[in-house]
Amino acid sequence: MDEFQRGLVELLPRLRRFSRAMARSDADAHDLVQETVERALSKRAGFLPGTRLDSWTFTIMRRIFIDQTRSKARWDRVVGPEDDGTANVADAAQAGEALRADALAVRQAIRALPDDQRLAVALVLIDGLSYAEAAQVMGVPAGTLTSRLVRGRQTLIQTLAAQGLNG
Amino acid sequence: MTPNPIYNDEILMRRIDGELSPEAGAAIDRATVADPALAARLDAQRRLRTLARGALPVVPDQRDKDLVRLIATGGAGPRRAAVAGLTDRLRAAFAPRHTPIWVGLAAACFLLGLSLGGLGGGQDPGGLLDERGGIADAGLIKVLGTGLTADGPDREGRAVGLTFRDGDDRWCRTFRSGQAGMAGLACREDDRWTIRALAPAGADGGDGGDLRTAAADIPAPVLAAVDAAIAGETLDAAAEVRARDAGWR
Repeated sequence: MDEFQRGLVELLPRLRRFSRAMARSDADAHDLVQETVERALSKRAGFLPGTRLDSWTFTIMRRIFIDQTRSKARWDRVVGPEDDGTANVADAAQAGEALRADALAVRQAIRALPDDQRLAVALVLIDGLSYAEAAQVMGVPAGTLTSRLVRGRQTLIQTLAAQGLNG
Repeated sequence: MTPNPIYNDEILMRRIDGELSPEAGAAIDRATVADPALAARLDAQRRLRTLARGALPVVPDQRDKDLVRLIATGGAGPRRAAVAGLTDRLRAAFAPRHTPIWVGLAAACFLLGLSLGGLGGGQDPGGLLDERGGIADAGLIKVLGTGLTADGPDREGRAVGLTFRDGDDRWCRTFRSGQAGMAGLACREDDRWTIRALAPAGADGGDGGDLRTAAADIPAPVLAAVDAAIAGETLDAAAEVRARDAGWR
C-alpha cells in the first residue's frame, strides 16, 4: 500500500466513530464508512499530498451524509425506529451496565441534535478537530461553526443534566 | 446565581477545546477560584467532552478487514471513465496554475465591486456571466431566487448553499453552477443577483468536485469571501423560506 492507502486504513476507526455519531443505525453508519472509502479511493487524484487526509476524508463523509439525508427527506421514506445496534459495538470495550446506559443516553442526546449541530459536535467535541479544520470540513464560516457548536453543547448539557448525567 | 457576564458559554467552550491563548485560558482558570458558579459551568463543559468521547470511543470493528482489502486494491471496478464534457474542459482551464489568478481577480472584484465580465482572456466560466458581469444563466438566477438548500441540486446540478445578510444588509447566497463546474457567492442588489466571488468547484482540493454533491460544498476561496461579507449568522431552513417568500427584501 502507498502512503495514501495507509493513511486511509489508519483513519478507519475515526471514520467509524464519526459515522456512528451521525447515522441513525449501525447499518447506516457502516454504509457511510463504506461509501466514504469507495469515494475517497475514486477521488484520490483530488487529494493534495501534504494536506490533511483526515479533513479531506471527513469532508467526503459529510457530503455523502448530507446527500443521503436529503435523499431520504425528498422521497419521504419511512424511517424505522432508531436502531442503536452501533451501541453494542461501541460498548464492547466498556464495563458495567450503568456505564452502558450512560453511554447510550449520551449517544441518543447527540443524535437528537439537528444535523448541523451534530456535525459540529462530532468533529470538534468528539474527534478533536480545531475550529478552523471543522469549519472547512463543514463548508461554513468559522463563526457559523462556533455558534452551532455552542448551541449543540448547550442542548447536550441541559439534556444530560436533566437525566442526572452532567448536572 | 447570575452567570459571569465576562465568560459566556462560547469562551468556556473555547477554553476546553484549546482555542484560547494560554494567557486567556489562565485568566479563566484564575476566575473560577473565586467564582464557584463559573467553575461549575466550566466543569460541565469539561465533563460533557469526557462523556461524549466515552460514549463514542474508537474501537476495533471486524468489518474493517474488508475495507482494508478494498483500500489495498485501490478500489474495485472502473470509475467514471472519460466524461470529457464542459466540466472537464473548465477544470483544465482552471488548473492550479490558473486558479490563484482567477481567485485573486474574483476577490478583487468582491472588494471593489468591479465587473467580472471584463476578465475574458479565455477564462469565461462556462457562459455563467454576461458581458456586464451579471448572471447569464437563467437557470441559476431561478435557483438563487427560489431555491432552498434543502431542495438540493436541480436537474442541471445548480444548487444554493449558505444564505445570509452582508454588512450592507443585502441578501447573499452561495451557489453551485452545475454543469459550468463553478461555485460562487451572489448578493442581491437592485432586484438582481450579482456575483461577488467565483471559483472552480473543488478549488479547495476537495473530493474532486462531484457536482451532484451537497449545495453546502463551498470552495475555500468562496468561503473566504463569505467570511469577509457575512454579518450575523447564516439562515436556518425556516428563515431561508421566510426570506425567499418575502422576495429577498
